[in-house]
Amino acid sequence: MLMLDRVAKTYPNGVRALGGITFEVRPGEFLALVGGSGCGKSTLLRAISGLDTPSAGTVRLDGQPVTQPHEKIGIIFQEPRLLPWLTVADNVGFGLEQLPRGERRERVAEALARVGLSDKAKVWPRELSGGQAQRAAIARALVTRPEVLLLDEPFSALDAFTRIDLQDHLLDLWGDLRPTVILVTHDVDEAIVLADRVMVMRPRPGRIFQEIAVDLPRPRERQSSGFDAVKRRIMSALDRSLTRDKPAAAAAAAQPGSAGLWW
Amino acid sequence: MSLAQTTAAVEAVAPEDEKRRSGFGRFARIGLGLVLPVVLAAGWELAVRLGLSNGRLVPPPSVIFATFLELWQAGELQRHILVTTGRVAAGFAIGVIAGTAVGAAAGYSALIRRLIDPTMQALRAIPSIAWVPIFILWFGIFEASKITLIAVGVFFPVYLGVMGAIMSVDRKLVEVGRAFRLSPTAMVRRILLPAVLPHYVIAIRSGLGLGWMFVVAAELLGAAEGLGFLLVDGQQLGKPAQIVAAIVAFALIGKVTDWVIAASAAPFLRWEDRFSRGREEG
Repeated sequence: MLMLDRVAKTYPNGVRALGGITFEVRPGEFLALVGGSGCGKSTLLRAISGLDTPSAGTVRLDGQPVTQPHEKIGIIFQEPRLLPWLTVADNVGFGLEQLPRGERRERVAEALARVGLSDKAKVWPRELSGGQAQRAAIARALVTRPEVLLLDEPFSALDAFTRIDLQDHLLDLWGDLRPTVILVTHDVDEAIVLADRVMVMRPRPGRIFQEIAVDLPRPRERQSSGFDAVKRRIMSALDRSLTRDKPAAAAAAAQPGSAGLWW
Repeated sequence: MSLAQTTAAVEAVAPEDEKRRSGFGRFARIGLGLVLPVVLAAGWELAVRLGLSNGRLVPPPSVIFATFLELWQAGELQRHILVTTGRVAAGFAIGVIAGTAVGAAAGYSALIRRLIDPTMQALRAIPSIAWVPIFILWFGIFEASKITLIAVGVFFPVYLGVMGAIMSVDRKLVEVGRAFRLSPTAMVRRILLPAVLPHYVIAIRSGLGLGWMFVVAAELLGAAEGLGFLLVDGQQLGKPAQIVAAIVAFALIGKVTDWVIAASAAPFLRWEDRFSRGREEG
């Protein structure tokens, strides 16, 4: 069980990125964090991963506080971040150095097969396409069998077809291994296709605005009325989450005369 | 001919053309670079043979070659090459070790960098020859002062290269190391060293180049043997062919030693995504 208790982050320059976030994620649950840019979703993910430490509050995994990168937590970044000097297979096996050679090779081969890259084991990362590289990064994160998998806008740099392909891939992997997944995304469709639960965040400071359960049967159809209904709810929540920016705009709109005479 | 036919015809021709260019073009490129020196050398040789010039101050290629051979057969050339190479090797080793250590410290720690880098940059601006008198006072006129001068020459490019390389290591890759909970030593071994290696090879190659430059400076200013001594000796005894022969020897061993470094690093840099790869493989 992953628990966040009043997690807050204030940067040294005084910017409040996160303002006290509390929630729990059940083992094996797929959670998506969505929100406008600057709402702190990536900051939150980095705090959960232990790469950054929150300035207040705690992240606990199975009761144990997470203050630095944790062996049971894997993370996948927006970029593949493969090490260019290692072959794809060695990249995937990067976190398994303590294992004996034979077992490591076996685990790597299995992970590569899972993401459909068995034939690319011996090539350098630069020879992979964007989608293949991100699949290798997923294999690298999963090969250590983490309990929690964090994904920070993992598919945002890919084209639409590749993105859908990788979303399906990720779902298959999640179905097989059942890690707890937290996905940060700004793609609402992606959140609905993948997640059990969607958290809409609001900015300045970043906090949870609304929680929306996605109780659609899997596999989910991207073109279905249920899908559209959930999408409308999330979109409207996103819209309202930004209302703090609205008063200024509303004030301008309320005075059409003066707006017209701005010059 | 319709447009479609034309396109098809062009496409059919294109691969042939491509093949010819990559095979023949390569020799043509190398050959083109040789045209100027060969024509100049042959022209000068001809001019001296035809009596248009006596070739005393600017000896023709045949005389230079003969001098080179003569020095070689007498064992002179080997002796001088050995002495000079030994000096460069010693200075290069000291310069590389010191440059790597100081450069790594300055690249790794901002505090150390702020502390020493301004001084290093100031020292770097001093022309090499300016060191010679003080080094001779400090270390005497024999080997120690020469090797120190070479080490100083090698030190700065290595220092700068290592510091810059460490500072430019992709923080995103360092973060991957952190996410996998690498210990500080594992971080150095598995992330920093491989990331720095390509820049390091370039740094020690330019360090070696400066090492060869500085050995000439050291030997010109007082040596009883070495290729630099051959230069001075040739000047004082009026033997221009000997000077040119020594210059040729410098060029050859400079090139060979640089090639040795580049070739021994190559197996570790196969992963590099560089435009030069296309040429090697094409």
